[in-house]
Amino acid sequence: MLTLAWRNLWRQRRRSLVTAGAVGVVVFLSIWYYSIGGASVNSLYQNLTETTGHIQVHVPNYRDLREFQTLLIRNEQSVRERVNATVNQGEVVGVLEVSALLSGEDRSRGIVLVGQDWPEQIRRRFVDQNLSAGRFLEADELSGIVLGESLARALKVGLGDEVYAYAPGTDGYGAAAYTVIGLLDLLDANIEARSAYISLPAAQELAAPDAVTRFEVHFPEIRRVDEDQGVQLISADLKAALPDYSVESWRDLDPTLVQMLEILGPMMNIVNVIFFVLAGLLVVNTVYLGLMERIHEFGVIISLGASGRKVMGMITLESVLLCITGAAVGAVSGLALVARLAQGFTFPGLQEYYASFGMNPILYASITPQQVFFSVGFAIATGILAALWPASVASRLEPVEAMRFTA
Amino acid sequence: MSQGNVYSVKNLKKIYHTGEVKTQALSGVNLDIHQGEFTAIAGPSGSGKSTLLHLMGALDEPSEGEVWLNSTRIDNLNKVDSAQLRLWNIGFVFQAYNLIPVLTALENAAFVLELRGLSKKEREAKALEALKALDMAEYADRKPNQLSGGQQQRVAVARALAADPRIILADEPTANLDSKTGHALIDHMLRLNKEQGITFVFSTHDPRLLEHVSRLVQLEDGQIVSDEVLQLA
Repeated sequence: MLTLAWRNLWRQRRRSLVTAGAVGVVVFLSIWYYSIGGASVNSLYQNLTETTGHIQVHVPNYRDLREFQTLLIRNEQSVRERVNATVNQGEVVGVLEVSALLSGEDRSRGIVLVGQDWPEQIRRRFVDQNLSAGRFLEADELSGIVLGESLARALKVGLGDEVYAYAPGTDGYGAAAYTVIGLLDLLDANIEARSAYISLPAAQELAAPDAVTRFEVHFPEIRRVDEDQGVQLISADLKAALPDYSVESWRDLDPTLVQMLEILGPMMNIVNVIFFVLAGLLVVNTVYLGLMERIHEFGVIISLGASGRKVMGMITLESVLLCITGAAVGAVSGLALVARLAQGFTFPGLQEYYASFGMNPILYASITPQQVFFSVGFAIATGILAALWPASVASRLEPVEAMRFTA
Repeated sequence: MSQGNVYSVKNLKKIYHTGEVKTQALSGVNLDIHQGEFTAIAGPSGSGKSTLLHLMGALDEPSEGEVWLNSTRIDNLNKVDSAQLRLWNIGFVFQAYNLIPVLTALENAAFVLELRGLSKKEREAKALEALKALDMAEYADRKPNQLSGGQQQRVAVARALAADPRIILADEPTANLDSKTGHALIDHMLRLNKEQGITFVFSTHDPRLLEHVSRLVQLEDGQIVSDEVLQLA
C-alpha cells in the first residue's frame, strides 16, 4: 500500500510538489520561528543568570530591610562552605553591594558599589562582552575600580584617574581611593551610569570585613532554559541546607521573566497551529482532487474487496506521505538554517530594541528536539486531519456507482 | 439451496431510480449456478446482464429477492461483510480491465492478495504463478499503459486467479478485445475452468465466447428467457 500511495502521489506531479512544498515551507518557518523564539528566550535567560546568578542566598526578608548592617551575611567563609557543600558543580560568588558616594575631582554621584569575586569564566565573559577600555579587576586587587562609561563621563574621569568612595556608617574604613583601571560599555545606558565594580576584598575593607550582602550561585554550563531543571532541584536542596537564609532561584528573582517565558511557549504553538491550518487547507484540496480524479479506481478497489476502513487508510497514507515528504525537506533546510544562525546573528535595526530589554543584540538560534518533533508532528497531524473528509467520502462510495463515474 | 449449487438466485428484482423515473433492470430472476460450470449470461444491451452479475458479486443491493452463495445469503450483507465476501470468495474481471495504472502487471495481479494481508514474498509468488498460467510472466514488470488491451485483460484475469477463488464473475471480458486476443483469453479461461475447476459466470454477447460455454442463460428485459446446458465445452 505504501508503494501504491507513493506512486499515486506523483500522478499529478506538479500539484503534489506545490502542496508538499507548502508543507515544507510551513515546517521550515515553524522551525525557524521556534529557533528565533528559543534564541530570544535563552538570551533573556542568559542575560539574567549571568547578571544575578542562577540562585541567590540572602539574609531572610532582605527585600524589606533598609539598614546596610541588617543586609549582611556575616561569617562569609563559613556560610560559603555550607553553600559549596550543597552546590557541587556551580560557581559560588560572594557579592557585597555598598551604597556609596563616588567622587572625581569635580563631581560626585550616589551609586551602588559592587564588590565581587567572580570566577575566571564569568569574569572573562563579562570582560569580552562589556569592557571597552583598560582591564578588569584581579581577584584580590584593592586599589582598582572599573566604571561604566556613562558614570565615568558624569564624574569627568578616565583611565588612570583617582576616584574616592565614601560609605559612612558601615563597618569598614568607610572611605577609600581607587584608580580607574577599566571602562564598561553596557547595553543599558541607565545601568552603565550607575555601575562601579571593585574586588570583594576591597569592598569588604571599605564597608564590611568578612561579610557579603549575597551569594550568587552560577552554573556557567547552563545557558538554556530547557536545561534548567537541575537548578530548581539544587535550589530546593540549598533551601533545606540553609534554613536560616533566604534562598531564591532566578525564577523567584524575576517572576516577570518567568511569566513571559511561560506565555511564549503556548504563543509560539498557537502561531504554528495557524501556519499548519493554512497548509492543511491546501492538503485537503490536493487530496480531494486526487480522490475525484480516481473515483472510478476506488470503485474497482472496493469491488475487489477493500473495506471502507482500508480505503480510508489508503487516502490517509497518501496525505501523510505528502506531508512527510514536505516536512522532511522543510525540517532539513530549517535545521540547516538554525545551525547557521546558532553561530550568532542580529536583526538589523533591532539592536536598540533588544538593548532596551537588557538583552544582547547578538542572538543565538536555539531549538529543542521536542520543538523539531512538534513541527514534524504538526505536519503529520495536518496530513491525517486533511485526509479525514476525503477519506470518509471515499470509504462510503458505492462500488457500482463509483465504477460508472468518469472524472 | 440445492446440493452442488454455488449460487442460488431467487426472484431477484432490481429497480433503478433516476429522479422520478424508475427503470426495472431485473424482473424476478431465478437461477442456480453449479460448481465447475462455465456459464454465459447473454442478452442484448440493457437486458440486465451486468446488473445480475453485480448483485451476484455483492456489489449492489437488490430491490427484492435473494442471492445465496454456497450457504450464505449475500443480498442483505452490510458493507463490511460484503467487502469481506468479495475479498475472500469471488474473483472479478471487468470489461474495461480496470487495472491500477501506477502498479506493474505483477503488482496488479497481487493486489487482492495484498488486501488480504499476505506478505510481499507470498503474494508475488502467487501473482507470478497466475501470470504464468496466462502466459504473461514476461510482462510482469510492465505498467498497464505498456500493455495491449488483450494483455491488460489477461492481467485482470490473473488478478482474479491469483487469489484462488472458486468462482470468477466476468463482465463482458472479451468486449474490448480483437478476435485473436479474445480467442486467446477464452482459451485461457476454459483451461482454468477445466484444470482448476473454477466456476466461471460471465456476461457476454460475444459469439466467440458463446461457442465454448457449458451453459447459456439468455436474458431479455430483465427476465431469463432461456437456460440451456450445452455439451460443447
